[in-house]
Amino acid sequence: MITGMDRLVAALKGEMLDRIPVFCNMSDQGARELGMAPREYFSRGEHVAEAQLRMLAKYGYDNVWSLFYVGKEAELLGCKKILYAGEGSPNVEDFVIKTWDDVEKLAVPDELSAHPAFVEELKCLNLLRAGVGGKNPLCAYITATMTLPALLMGMERWMELLLLGPAEVRDELLARCHAFFVKEVAAYRKAGADVLIYSNPFGSTDMIPMKYFIDHSLPWIEKDIKAAGSQGMVYYCGMARFNRVIDAVFERTGIGVYYISPLDDVAEAKRIVAGRGLTCGVINDIKLIDWSKEEITSEVKRIIEAGMPGGRFLFGTGVMPFAIPEENIRTMLDAAYRFGSRGARAA
Amino acid sequence: MLEDIIAAYNEAIFDTDRDRALKVVHDAELRGVSPEDIVFRVVLPAMDLMVKSISENLDANLAQHFMTAQIADTVTAEMIAKFKKAPEVRGRVVIGTASGDLHSLGKRIVIGCLKARMIDVRDLGVNVPPERFVDEAVKHHAEVIGISAMMVHTARGENGCLRVRELLKERGLENKIRIIAGGAPFRFDRELYKAIRADAWAEDAVTAGKVIVELIQEVRS
Repeated sequence: MITGMDRLVAALKGEMLDRIPVFCNMSDQGARELGMAPREYFSRGEHVAEAQLRMLAKYGYDNVWSLFYVGKEAELLGCKKILYAGEGSPNVEDFVIKTWDDVEKLAVPDELSAHPAFVEELKCLNLLRAGVGGKNPLCAYITATMTLPALLMGMERWMELLLLGPAEVRDELLARCHAFFVKEVAAYRKAGADVLIYSNPFGSTDMIPMKYFIDHSLPWIEKDIKAAGSQGMVYYCGMARFNRVIDAVFERTGIGVYYISPLDDVAEAKRIVAGRGLTCGVINDIKLIDWSKEEITSEVKRIIEAGMPGGRFLFGTGVMPFAIPEENIRTMLDAAYRFGSRGARAA
Repeated sequence: MLEDIIAAYNEAIFDTDRDRALKVVHDAELRGVSPEDIVFRVVLPAMDLMVKSISENLDANLAQHFMTAQIADTVTAEMIAKFKKAPEVRGRVVIGTASGDLHSLGKRIVIGCLKARMIDVRDLGVNVPPERFVDEAVKHHAEVIGISAMMVHTARGENGCLRVRELLKERGLENKIRIIAGGAPFRFDRELYKAIRADAWAEDAVTAGKVIVELIQEVRS
């Protein structure tokens, strides 16, 4: 029987087995799957792993996610307060960095795997790894050095520090975030993560001008990937567009997988990647909340028809809001399996 | 002379170079340009140019929006203090992030842009309950309530814009106060503002300033 891992490995080699790989991020849906409140659900790695494995079996997509919520990284760096929501992702409520003086106090844990906030993630990863037994790619989410400060001080303060300085505080903070990033990648790899989603909205020209990207952001991306290695890394900008930087990122880092924005042109991304790596066409999953069955099917078809020719393509979702009805998730996945099948390509 | 100043200021804004933009403004002052002309003929047109470049899908991005608002806010505050007479307030706005939402960047950009447009704006902060939006709007005679939401569940949540609309209706205020919503989910679903019963939305925070002025004019007409 063909597995999700088989499909991914084939796609990486430019081949196709029964269909293209289909990646789905169902973090917000886990609590509902177990009938729990989010606070209870996210309190234990066992809960997250069980829900992810149940949904994998239920929907049949190809990957499993170890992500609890993005603010988890802030907890590893000292955040004590998370704001839980009934129908959405938890958020950082209390920022670790409130003044520039706090930057010097920011401590990167010596041993990440011993940190209480990481213990539950490790439990989850171990259970997922055992549960899929190598048959499905195990995905972990890692915030890039350039973006991590936003979780520690809020996007507003980070934008202010980034663009207005003081430069020495900014550089010190980035150096500490980079040290954390390198440890986090190592910890996830050691725990068995196959795919590392390198999340970096500051790697998109929707966030910063191209010149600023080249002068400031790209050097940190290069430093991150040089230190951590490009194996299993997926370039992702948190749903922001990045077709314009793919060439530069590929040349400077060798990252081989590009998880583009739903607002990017899929065919253009494929042309830019030009067979050097894998392109993931991503659906605008916010629209999945209200789209009709026909609209969902048509959009999946459009994305796959634009990206599948020439191979080295997969279909994926963004953060899949909690409010998406289950039948719409099924409609999307059924369409992806159908239009992404080997038969569909031949036709 | 003014054309050169405008061009130099715009270039600095698009390069996200605050120091250069402020130098252009201060040099202009030294060359005899009035504080009123600096605000109304340099800063505001630069903001409108940013709105135009966004609408034409040119290379405008969040960092440029942030710097546009930041510099406009700084320059306007500095120049207003030097105006021959206090400028006329063009409208009043209360703004905050939706209940459960802690993302403040978009709100800050909108506030900077509104101040430069001579709008009196009250910042209600983050995670604002719907009742407070309405109470503060009434208290400050605001024509517009601005609700920023960066997450789908805060944009669509029952304690966000939907509840603000209900409260306006219950209190008979719908003809006096308009609601504008904004934030990332609205860019991915351009009809979302209708689903949450806002009167308008804006693609980005700089454009929001322009849309809010239009809403104020609508209420006042």
